[in-house]
Amino acid sequence: MRTDEELIKEFQNGSEEAFNELVKRHLPDTYGFFIKFTSDPIEAEDLAQDVFIKMYKALKKFKFQSKFKTYLYRANINMSNTYFKRNKWRNLLHLDQAPEPIYMDTSNEDEWKRNELWNAVSKLPSRQRMVVTMRISDEMPYKDIAKLMGISENSAKVNYHHAVKTLKNQLEN
Amino acid sequence: MNIEKELKNIILSQDQTIDTDDFINNLHAERKRRFAKNIGFLNGVSAAVFLTIFGFASMSQLTDDFTVYASNDLQPLEVMDSETEAYVYDIASYLVDTSDDIWETIIFLDEIQYEPVIAMNNRGVE
Repeated sequence: MRTDEELIKEFQNGSEEAFNELVKRHLPDTYGFFIKFTSDPIEAEDLAQDVFIKMYKALKKFKFQSKFKTYLYRANINMSNTYFKRNKWRNLLHLDQAPEPIYMDTSNEDEWKRNELWNAVSKLPSRQRMVVTMRISDEMPYKDIAKLMGISENSAKVNYHHAVKTLKNQLEN
Repeated sequence: MNIEKELKNIILSQDQTIDTDDFINNLHAERKRRFAKNIGFLNGVSAAVFLTIFGFASMSQLTDDFTVYASNDLQPLEVMDSETEAYVYDIASYLVDTSDDIWETIIFLDEIQYEPVIAMNNRGVE
């Protein structure tokens, strides 16, 4: 089985099949990552598509300074940040269309809870949001989070602690 | 309320399957669509830049001297003395009256160099 790096080299030499193989290999993780945020398969697919379209361009100049998986994960995080920002504006612009919780069907309770939670996550400061995203959706150790974000492990812990506290306050209010 | 537990429960409840082949086909179709759109945009911008530069270069070559764009045939007439002017009109009406082809005469009158006529008339007067 070819490694990611071998596939990237083949892609850089013009093999589209190698790129497709990379997509096949990493799509489940990427799609899974996005569906955790959006709870909408179509939106998750769109986000994954955006990431791989960016990868198609970026991999042609990839210099193998980091592992592809790390590179892709960072792209996912950046895309989720974009999604959060977009969603924040969407929520602001559609505030009048948001259904009142009292009229919610109980079968949609999970869906409602999920939306509430991700809305609260989207309001967190960028760094806290990224730490929470990595920690909760992928159960990533602080050490890896710190490495990915270029911060210290303690800073990652502090950001996570602040984020959870803020989320708790927001949801309880 | 245990936020971390809630988040984990919600996340774990998500369905995570996707048709890979369909996704790859859609991915390449969308990539090509975006590429074509970018090319169209770049062509538009290039054309606009070219027209702006070309237009500016053309405009900067224009001169304030109107004689470059318009005939100044009448200028010599302005410096004629009245006697020469009368002489020129006499010659002109004689030529028009005696001409078989009026257009040929008009072209001749249009192309005539008035300076020699003025000089010739002045010499005659002297």
